Amino acid sequence: MPDYVPTNAASSGVRLDKKTLKSIATRTDRPGLIWLAQWTLGLVATGTLVWAALGTVWVWPAMLLHGTLLTVPAYAASHETAHGTAFRSRWLNEAVLWVSSFIFIEEPLHRRYSHTNHHTHTWHVGEDSQMPYNIPLRFAEWFAATTGIIPLIYHVKVLYVLATRNFSDMILKFTPEPELPKMTRNARIMIALYVLIAVLPLAGIWWPVWFIILPRVLGTPVMILLVLIQHAELQENSPSILESTRSFTTNRVMAFLYMNMNNHVEHHLYPQVPFHALPKLAEAVKDQVPEPDHGFVRTCAELGLVVLRRSLGRSTKAPTIRQAPRMITDGGPIHSIAQKTM
Amino acid sequence: MNQWIDACAPDDIDEEDLIAWEHAGRKYAIYNTEKGFFASDLMCTHEEQSLEDGLVIDCVIECPLHGGRFDVCTGKALSAPVLVDLKTYPVKVESGRVFVQVEG
Ligand code: FES
Repeated sequence: MPDYVPTNAASSGVRLDKKTLKSIATRTDRPGLIWLAQWTLGLVATGTLVWAALGTVWVWPAMLLHGTLLTVPAYAASHETAHGTAFRSRWLNEAVLWVSSFIFIEEPLHRRYSHTNHHTHTWHVGEDSQMPYNIPLRFAEWFAATTGIIPLIYHVKVLYVLATRNFSDMILKFTPEPELPKMTRNARIMIALYVLIAVLPLAGIWWPVWFIILPRVLGTPVMILLVLIQHAELQENSPSILESTRSFTTNRVMAFLYMNMNNHVEHHLYPQVPFHALPKLAEAVKDQVPEPDHGFVRTCAELGLVVLRRSLGRSTKAPTIRQAPRMITDGGPIHSIAQKTM
Repeated sequence: MNQWIDACAPDDIDEEDLIAWEHAGRKYAIYNTEKGFFASDLMCTHEEQSLEDGLVIDCVIECPLHGGRFDVCTGKALSAPVLVDLKTYPVKVESGRVFVQVEG
């Protein structure tokens, strides 16, 4: 028997009768295909804006918009397909996993295995391979992550490690051995493709710069802000997802871009539920889970404020977002709780 | 010696679904699929997770924790993160009952 309990609904004391769960978790291709078509159309629209603005100063806001529409859904799709829940057809899942992970800059099998580990050991110090910052979070780290610098370094480092077979202990822990050579092969293919894209301008081909590279860089902050609020200021080492994870309310546009992952508590409770059914799941368990925090912008702003105040030695009580009791202090020196694993 | 054990009635398992069944301290999953009834070990081969809340899609069981998939008829591991096959057991339906052949 293992010496841990996977973090999910059972470990959190949340119950849903099987018939209801099954009806919510039913798999079909249709919602995923509609989402994919809408995302593609959105990218064509924002790409057209970038094209129309080329040569003017307006190209920067156009690329910011296009980049957000490129990066956030790529992250969300790579996550959803790593779970295998986006589509009923497996090949469709795997195809979208590859494309979206390529945009997200993570080798697809690493994406899948590190995330399985994150679900088994959600927010457990030294066990969860997807702890993207030290606990407690400080302003300098929050800022560096939000600019995209820290995540970029991490993604490049992982590709290098996989391509050169210098696997970390954590990778060896969460990856079944027969999968390692495939990860190495995939990482090498991906690096070759990134290099190819990077040298295209030398051959006078500039469109990838305007439509992919710069937008991908500019789209990173919103994606990172979403990542940061998933578990920040909540309880580490808890078997309960209700204590370790945050849901928040948001508008329809953000819910679309993020594939409803603002229902993050619910997703961790029942990871087999596909993205399009998360609002239904949230409704079904609403009496058993904490109230979601209020709005993406407000949640991010409050988190930013809390980490700034912490770094200034001030009180860290947030106005409204949920915090674990130990995250709330009256100020003073910061005591380190955990090292990041990403 | 292997023996056939009366496990449940066919109606006890919804179509495209499974139930957990215990016999002599061992846990089994019994499936009702479009191809008939099948049985396997209840625990996933990836980590210590019961398949009871998993989804049966056609003749595939998907683990509720990480989405690993097994062929219900053969126990074959179909997709990451599961790599080790699931042990399966013969099943027969006789006189309105589902029987599972267990070892021992
Ligand atoms: S525990 Fe079943 S797929 Fe991981």
